[in-house]
Amino acid sequence: MKTTLEMINRMQGDGVIGKYAIGGAVGATFYLEPSATVDVDIFAVLPKAGSSSLLSLVPIYEYLKAHGCDADGEHVVIGEWPVQFLPPSDALEREALAEATETEIEGVKTWVMTAEHLVAIAIRTGRPKDHARILQFLEQDAVDTERLNRVLAGHGLIAKWQQFKKKYGADTND
Amino acid sequence: MTRQERRKRLAELSFSQKVKILEKLRRRSLAIAASGLRRRSASGVRNADEDSRPA
Repeated sequence: MKTTLEMINRMQGDGVIGKYAIGGAVGATFYLEPSATVDVDIFAVLPKAGSSSLLSLVPIYEYLKAHGCDADGEHVVIGEWPVQFLPPSDALEREALAEATETEIEGVKTWVMTAEHLVAIAIRTGRPKDHARILQFLEQDAVDTERLNRVLAGHGLIAKWQQFKKKYGADTND
Repeated sequence: MTRQERRKRLAELSFSQKVKILEKLRRRSLAIAASGLRRRSASGVRNADEDSRPA
């Protein structure tokens, strides 16, 4: 992971990506016990190409290819890890990136989404594995309920949250 | 130590320590997938089920 993050930081330094944050299962591991995953989700701001308003992942792939990394489907293998680069697709993901927490892995600086944003994104995505992860966050008391409610309300996710709590009988003290 | 306590202790490790565990878990699943153990084990269960059926 150290090599992976060093390369991603180098991409950031060279202007290939802007601010980034780790999301998904690896991001959740910052707050929870580790659980098996095969890849790393990197949410990253991509610079716009020239006058076009379209975002493209091509500069990322070209940069990494030039640095000896191989593409593998929707991933690029950096060090040992397949990495998926995800430009923020909506206001929730943009906020998650802007408010990401700075941390370190083996001395390498990086950013991780807050627990509340990881839970809000999981509520919005709504697959069984997302629900399982939310339950882990709640069981381990790893979210600030007030902050979570603010994020959910700000992005129109309260109804989905109520449905989730009804389905799983989740106790969140709200 | 209960399962709950073990999970709490794992959650309290540093991010670097937890990432080391993630890497081990990933290497292990890749090794299992590469050895075909998972497939053999699944077909073994199926064969055992078939063997146990009355003729």
